[in-house]
Amino acid sequence: MSPRRVRAITTRILSQFRHDRRTLALLFVAPLLILTLLDLLLRGGSSQPAVGVVNLDGGPLGSTIAARLLSSTLVSASATDRATAEKELHDGSLTAYILLPADFTDRALSQHELRPEIHLEGSQPGLSQQVLQAVSQATLAAIAALPIQGAPPRFNPMVSYLYGGPNLDTLDYLGAALIGLVVFFLVFVVTCVSFLRERTQGTLERLMATPLRRTEIVLGYMIGFTVLALIQSAEVLLFSLYVLKLYNAGNVWLIFLVAILMAIAAVNLGIFVSMFARTEFQAVQFIPLVIVPQFLLSGILVPVSSEPGWMQAISRVLPLTYAVDGLRSVMIRGADLSWPALQRDTGVVFGFCVLMVVLASLTLRRRVA
Amino acid sequence: MIETTQNAVDVQGVVKTFGRLRALDGITLSVRRGEIYGLLGPNGSGKTTLIRAIVGLLRPDSGTVTVLGRPMPELAVLSRIGYMTQAAALYPDLSVEENVRFFAAIYGAGRVDEVLRFVNLYDRRQSIVSTLSGGMRTRASMACALVHQPELLLLDEPTVGVDPQLRAQLWNRFQQMAANGTTIIVSSHVMDEAERTQRLGLILFGKLLAEGSADDLRRRAGVDRLEDAFLKLAAQSPRPGGDET
Repeated sequence: MSPRRVRAITTRILSQFRHDRRTLALLFVAPLLILTLLDLLLRGGSSQPAVGVVNLDGGPLGSTIAARLLSSTLVSASATDRATAEKELHDGSLTAYILLPADFTDRALSQHELRPEIHLEGSQPGLSQQVLQAVSQATLAAIAALPIQGAPPRFNPMVSYLYGGPNLDTLDYLGAALIGLVVFFLVFVVTCVSFLRERTQGTLERLMATPLRRTEIVLGYMIGFTVLALIQSAEVLLFSLYVLKLYNAGNVWLIFLVAILMAIAAVNLGIFVSMFARTEFQAVQFIPLVIVPQFLLSGILVPVSSEPGWMQAISRVLPLTYAVDGLRSVMIRGADLSWPALQRDTGVVFGFCVLMVVLASLTLRRRVA
Repeated sequence: MIETTQNAVDVQGVVKTFGRLRALDGITLSVRRGEIYGLLGPNGSGKTTLIRAIVGLLRPDSGTVTVLGRPMPELAVLSRIGYMTQAAALYPDLSVEENVRFFAAIYGAGRVDEVLRFVNLYDRRQSIVSTLSGGMRTRASMACALVHQPELLLLDEPTVGVDPQLRAQLWNRFQQMAANGTTIIVSSHVMDEAERTQRLGLILFGKLLAEGSADDLRRRAGVDRLEDAFLKLAAQSPRPGGDET
C-alpha cells in the first residue's frame, strides 16, 4: 500500500470535481433544496382539512360541539348548511362535513348515545383520520363541560364515505399516484440517457447528415419509447391491481390513458433535457432537479391544498400534479371523462406532451444548426 | 433531377467562427464530379468544420456552399450524400447488419448485402458492433455511408487508427468508387494518403493555403516530399493572432 498513490487518486478525483461546477452545485445545493422543500411541505403548510359544520340540533350539546370544532386546531372548520356542505364535498373543497342532527341533544340524554353524522370525502385516508379525531375530541370535550349525571353517553358517530371507504389505506392512496410517478421517472431516465448516447456516440451527427427531419427523429423516439412505456405501464398497472390489490373504483383503461400520456411526456422531456447534458453522468444529475421536486410537490405525499400558498403555485405548473390527481380521481373517486376535474387533468398532461414534443424538436434544431 | 454544373461541391468564401476562434476563414474551393479531393491539414486546422459545413450540419457565418448544384443546407440533397464521421459512429448494441439496415431504411435503399460484401464484412454481419475491432468498425461505418450509393462521399479521416493493410484496401475501394463516378472528399493528416488523391487542398488555421495535385504542390514548394512541401507552404503563411494552436 502506497500512501502516495492513494493520495494521487484522491487528489485527481477532487480536481475533476473542481472542473465540473455543475456536479459541485448539485452535491452542495441539491440536498439543502430538497430538505427545505420537505420542511416547508411538512411544517410550513396548513395541514388542516377543510370541514363544514351543519348544526341542526335544538339542544345545547350541538352548539357546544360546533363551537369546539370551529376553534379546533386539527381542522379548519366553518359553519354551513347541509346543501352547501354536500355540494362542496362533491367538488372537493371540503374534506368532510359534520352534521349534528335535530335530535342530537335529546338522543344523548334519552339513549345515552352521541350520534353526529360525519360525511367524509374519503379519498385521502390521512385527512379522514384527522377529521374523525377532531370530531371525537370536540364531542368528548363538550360532554365533559356539560352537567350530565351518570355514565357519559357513548360516542357512536355515523360515518359515511363519498369515495373509498374505511378500508382505504395509505398504499391505496399513494399507489394510485405512484403508478404515474414510476412510469414517468423510469421512462424519463431511460430516454434521456439513450438520446444522450445518440449524441456522444456520434450517431446523431450522422443522422443529421441524412434526409431525416428533426421531427421524424423526435417522433421515432417517442413512438419507440412509448411502446416500451405501454408494456411497462400495463405491467405496473396489473401488478398494482391484482398483486398489491390497490383500491380501484374506476375504469382501468382510463388509468392506462393517464399513465401513457405521462410516459409520452417523459419521453419528450427526456429528449429535451438531454440537450443540456454532455455526459451520461450529467444526465443522471437531472434526476434530483427534474424528478425530486415533482415528487415532493405533485401532491403524492402531501396534498397540494395543504402546501403553503406560493408552493401551490409551483405545484400547479408541474405536469405530475395533474397526472397524480387524475389517477386518484379515476382509481379512488371512480371518475370518468365526463368529470370536469379529469378532463382538466388529462387536458393539462396532454398539453404538456405537445409542448415537450415541440421543445424537443426545437432544441434538436438549435443544437445542430 | 439532373444538374448541369461540372462541380460536385462549390465552397465560396465560407467563414465560421466559434467564439473568438475563426475555424473557417474565408475558404473558397471547388471539387469536380468524380474526383477524389483530399483535405490535408494538421489537427484543428478546420478540416472537420469544412466537411460539416459542406454536409449542412453547420451554417456558415458568411459565404455559400453549393452541393450537387443545390445551395446548402438542403434536406433533399442529403439523400445523395454519404458522410462518414471521424469516429465510427454506429450503434454499439446492434449487429453490423442491423446498423447498415437502419441507414438503408432511412435512405430507402436496399443494397445491404452488396455493401457488406464491398467492405468485406458479410461474414461478420451478425457480430455486435461493440465486439468488433477498430478496423472492422471503420468498415461497418463505411458500409452505412455507402448503402444508398451516394453521388458525393465525405470521409472525415477515415483511416485514423487503421492498419496499413486495411488502409490500402480502403483506398482501393475509394478509387474503385471514383472510377464509377462517385465524388469523394477525404480529410487526412497522413501524407502518404494525400498522395492517392487527385487534388489536394492544404488547410491551415481555417484557410486554404494551396491547392493542386501532390506533384503540383511539391513543385511549387521546390521540394521532393509532400510533407516538406506542406511545412514550407505553412511557414510562408502568416499565423493569425489569438490563441489558436
